[in-house]
Amino acid sequence: MTAPILAVRDVVRRFGGLRAVDGASLDVERGSITALIGPNGAGKSTLFNVVSGFLPAEKGSVQFEERRIDGTAAYRIAQRGLVRTFQVPRALTRLSVLDNVLLAAPNHSGERLSGVLLRPARTRAHERNARRRAQELLALVRLEEHTHDYAGVLSGGQRKLLDLARVLMAEPRLVLLDEPMAGVNPTLGRQLLEHVLQLRADEGMTFLFVEHDLDVVMEASDRVIVMNEGRVIATGTPAEVRTDSRVIDAYLGATWST
Amino acid sequence: MSTIASFGFWSFVGIVAGIYTLFALGVQVQFGFAGLLNFGQVAFMGIGAYTMAILVVKEDLNMWIAACCGVALAMLAGVLLGLPTLRLRADYFAITTIAFSEILRYVATNEDRLTGGSQGTINLAGIGRTSQYNSEWQSFLGKVERGLHIGGDAAMLILVWTVALLAVTAIWLMMKTPWGRVLKSIREDEEAVASLGKNVFSYKLQALVVGAALGAIAGLFYAWQFSFFSPDDFAPLLTFFAWMIVILGGLGRAWTVPVGAIVFGVIFAGTRFFDFAPFSLLDSTERAYVRLIVIGVVIIGLMLFRPQGIFGNRKEMVLE
Repeated sequence: MTAPILAVRDVVRRFGGLRAVDGASLDVERGSITALIGPNGAGKSTLFNVVSGFLPAEKGSVQFEERRIDGTAAYRIAQRGLVRTFQVPRALTRLSVLDNVLLAAPNHSGERLSGVLLRPARTRAHERNARRRAQELLALVRLEEHTHDYAGVLSGGQRKLLDLARVLMAEPRLVLLDEPMAGVNPTLGRQLLEHVLQLRADEGMTFLFVEHDLDVVMEASDRVIVMNEGRVIATGTPAEVRTDSRVIDAYLGATWST
Repeated sequence: MSTIASFGFWSFVGIVAGIYTLFALGVQVQFGFAGLLNFGQVAFMGIGAYTMAILVVKEDLNMWIAACCGVALAMLAGVLLGLPTLRLRADYFAITTIAFSEILRYVATNEDRLTGGSQGTINLAGIGRTSQYNSEWQSFLGKVERGLHIGGDAAMLILVWTVALLAVTAIWLMMKTPWGRVLKSIREDEEAVASLGKNVFSYKLQALVVGAALGAIAGLFYAWQFSFFSPDDFAPLLTFFAWMIVILGGLGRAWTVPVGAIVFGVIFAGTRFFDFAPFSLLDSTERAYVRLIVIGVVIIGLMLFRPQGIFGNRKEMVLE
């Protein structure tokens, strides 16, 4: 078995007296679609913030592609290929929808003053390519008719889709999605899911996502990690996790629809 | 000829508006595009003006080289100000910048061996020895006058506005590049920008430094126009004039800055014609403060009826 793309070891993160993440360890296999589930307050979002560099870990380590990334600035982690979305979508409201996606283009020479001033031709070529790719992604998430609107006019669900297009624009190798399906209409959600599967097959992208819709989790993921009270309490295939008594206890009577 | 119809008077208003355009354009880059609350912009103006004057008088340096040094030093000051402060929350950053500009003003007031002290640049060469940094500029201005067959005021007006409009055009073009896109995104949501792999700190620093350079260029023209200045010319009020201009014209666009500066300049100069009742009851010094009241009223009115400024974008204002 190859080394995991993401390895989290004994991570602790407290807020005052509350141990939001309390010694969590997990592996994400390269090329997998892994779901991170657990009741509210289990520490999923905090763990996302620690892994993506938005919160420092107090203890423990995080390795991405066999390199330590704990203590690394969030933007550097993103540059290395680990890109996340937020639970509440972060549309840049006074920019156009297209600009929102274009912003995520990686290694764009036009984002450096030196590139703009000294290599205008190369910058224009970069921008043309980025524009083409951004338009493809907007078509994919069915936002093409809003391409030139301000992102601020989009609904909550549409902003989720914009976040997704943006994160894919960044050409990540590992994508962390925080409740990607919340507020997205189910038909479109299903299409997105198919696209995620396609991306994994075509480009070997790895996905780790937090999701409350257990139907989606069971259908889309090949591995499920269950958190409760800041720790990982179970890991396995959807079928294994579903019958795990610790998981059922954690959810306390939650019914598992199939 | 009455003042209101004289070319000399209105060209003076125009020259000052051109200087304010450069000065306020820096605030537009910093706040209007990158979202930085810089309340210390006047410091960069002061650094530009003082560096140029000191190097010319004390070091006998060529004025153009001294002017370039002034801009460079202001940019360096921008870096030094930004390095420890740009990671602060927006409101704390704002407080630090105003402190920065006041510290520099007090230093300029008290370091009289370097700056001439509170008496201003007239004492640059030492007390009792009148000094002048402006002769090279005057001879350059003279050449422009003779070359274009125009008067001194017109030559200054053309020079200031040429530089100001070039700067506005440059910033306008810069904001259309991917670099400008990152700046505007930072104004919207820093964390989202960082999550996409952009070094937010570095971009904020660049915006601060570009704004500092524009402030310093404004300072150079200020020094050339008035032939004399003192630390009190760089009081915080001037920074807030720049803010008024940016708010009057409209946030987040380069071309609104000259419009705001002209409107501001005309209101500011125009109130001196308030010589009818009830203003005639005030003496002339008191009347000078009326213009601040007028500008205050205009801004309040604008916030009520046209919050986006004269040429700002209403649609952008109402988005969440």
